[in-house]
Amino acid sequence: MSAKAIERSLWALFAAFMIAVPWIIPALISSFWVSVIAEILIWSLLAASVNLLFGYVGLLSFGQALYFGFGMYGVAIGIQDLGLSFWPAFALGIVASMTMALVTGIFAVRLTWHYFAIITVVFSLIFYFLALTNKWLTGGDDGINFALPPTINIGGFNKSLTDPIFQYFFVLCTAALCFLLMHRLVGSPLGKAFLAIRDNDMRARLIGLNVYLLRLIAFVLSGFLAGVAGGLFAFFGRYASATYMFYHVSGEAVVWAIVGGAGTLLGPLIGTTLFIIVREIVSTHWEHHSLIVGTVAILAVMFAPKGMVGLWNDFISRIAERSGAPVGAVELRTEP
Amino acid sequence: MEKLFLLAMNGLIWGLIIALIALGLAIIFGLLDIINLAHGDFFMVGTVLAWATLQSTGSFWLAFIVAPFIGFILGALIQQVVIQPIRNTAMLSIVATFGLSLILQESVRITYGPTPGRILPPIQSTIHLFGVDYEVYRLFAAVVAILALGGFFLFLQHTKLGTWMRAVRHDREIAVAMGIPAGRVYILTFAIGFALAALGGVVAAPITTVDFRGGVDILPFCFMAVIIGGLGNLPGTAAAAVLLAFVEGVIQSVTDPTVARIASLVLMSAVLLLRPQGLFKGLTR
Repeated sequence: MSAKAIERSLWALFAAFMIAVPWIIPALISSFWVSVIAEILIWSLLAASVNLLFGYVGLLSFGQALYFGFGMYGVAIGIQDLGLSFWPAFALGIVASMTMALVTGIFAVRLTWHYFAIITVVFSLIFYFLALTNKWLTGGDDGINFALPPTINIGGFNKSLTDPIFQYFFVLCTAALCFLLMHRLVGSPLGKAFLAIRDNDMRARLIGLNVYLLRLIAFVLSGFLAGVAGGLFAFFGRYASATYMFYHVSGEAVVWAIVGGAGTLLGPLIGTTLFIIVREIVSTHWEHHSLIVGTVAILAVMFAPKGMVGLWNDFISRIAERSGAPVGAVELRTEP
Repeated sequence: MEKLFLLAMNGLIWGLIIALIALGLAIIFGLLDIINLAHGDFFMVGTVLAWATLQSTGSFWLAFIVAPFIGFILGALIQQVVIQPIRNTAMLSIVATFGLSLILQESVRITYGPTPGRILPPIQSTIHLFGVDYEVYRLFAAVVAILALGGFFLFLQHTKLGTWMRAVRHDREIAVAMGIPAGRVYILTFAIGFALAALGGVVAAPITTVDFRGGVDILPFCFMAVIIGGLGNLPGTAAAAVLLAFVEGVIQSVTDPTVARIASLVLMSAVLLLRPQGLFKGLTR
């Protein structure tokens, strides 16, 4: 079997599994795990927003939690204070985080590498502390709880995320849409320009690309992904809180993206899955699950420096080699 | 006026302690190209070691020797086990040291416990300074921090090991060709980095709380000092740490601590944007 064929059949299998989750998982394990998988999908979007910047443009952001938080608060404030219904609140969350990404990005993308990493942390810390102090708006550490409005309400037909199966599919569809958009983006001329900047920004500048503008576009797009993740997470927990804007959340997303495989489409999803599943399994048996998570992180970079996807690509090409099919045409390079 | 003096003094002394920790971060970063997300936890381990020494021996003073020593050993071990395999890959170091940070925090939570504790200052007396009763221990902490900073710079400039460290950082290839054991220098650097942070932890322990999350707030502050001071500029890093904490202390005298923190962060973004090469570039020499 060629590498391409293996990949295609795996994709089909993966899609079928994701659709069947609400029925298979409760039968095999328990319905609790359906919501864990939904949570993984949501967080993988935050990891994807890190990956878009780091894996494709070469900018390491340690402040993505800021845009995640704006997505959360946009939804929560929209519903609780402004009385918006489901879709306008979701839109408000996404627009809020994209606007924030634009405003901070105008400054941040003037810098690169260490400086960029630091300034994104600084920005996210500023707004974290602002959210903590302005309790009238954000609820501070306690956060905002809200009641879920219906998602669809046409005539007598009424669906809301309180239905766990509907909630799962809503998250799945949104995440799938985002990853599809990301896939299209990477293949588009814009995506190629991103890669050119990642590999050599001086050369990109010399062939006439507007590096500053392209980085800003990438920054706003990553704000979009983080905002969608934050909005979804607010709906998922019916809750928004400043704690999710702290830099530790950003750091976790960076770890998920790199362990999964930076610069690959599904790397963030795989990294997020690994860490959240380990956390969920261990935390039910042992209070000190962070020890395991930390060990996994260290072992991952020692034994899979190109991430899980890199490990997998090596494995696939070895199989393909053994069966005599031509190698190549697997996924492109993984390291940025 | 008294409040301004008190908070400015507190800020200045806190800045000197931060300078110790940030120097450790700066040498690890400069020499090994490791972005050490666990550095705040090295400080936290220092505060916990101070507490443990006080509990087991009844003497706080012993911690000034014990904690940096244990920190040094731990640092050497961590360098060998975790850092050596991924050296020179800044990207991977972020993940590895993040894992390290989780492990250190959780280990402390298991052994020390999840509730923050306090250590009474070993010097209880106060001294009358400019109209306020100032804690003598804080002045003592400042002296210790200044001595340690001075000692470190003397070590770097005037000993063989210090010269090796500077040489390897300057040009690794040539340093190795000249017969400097680069591998040992890396271990030493990481160990000294940990020891400095642990010493900072001991000095700070009676001023702040002993808590397994104690390093989380320190970390961004140290990174900012390193960047604002200028990458690779060690005196600049120390000066930036003192300046940042001092400014924050002064702002605190007119508003509440969170607003002061926000103000200093805004200031920091301005410095980053206007002088990304560091505040002191071009001022020295």
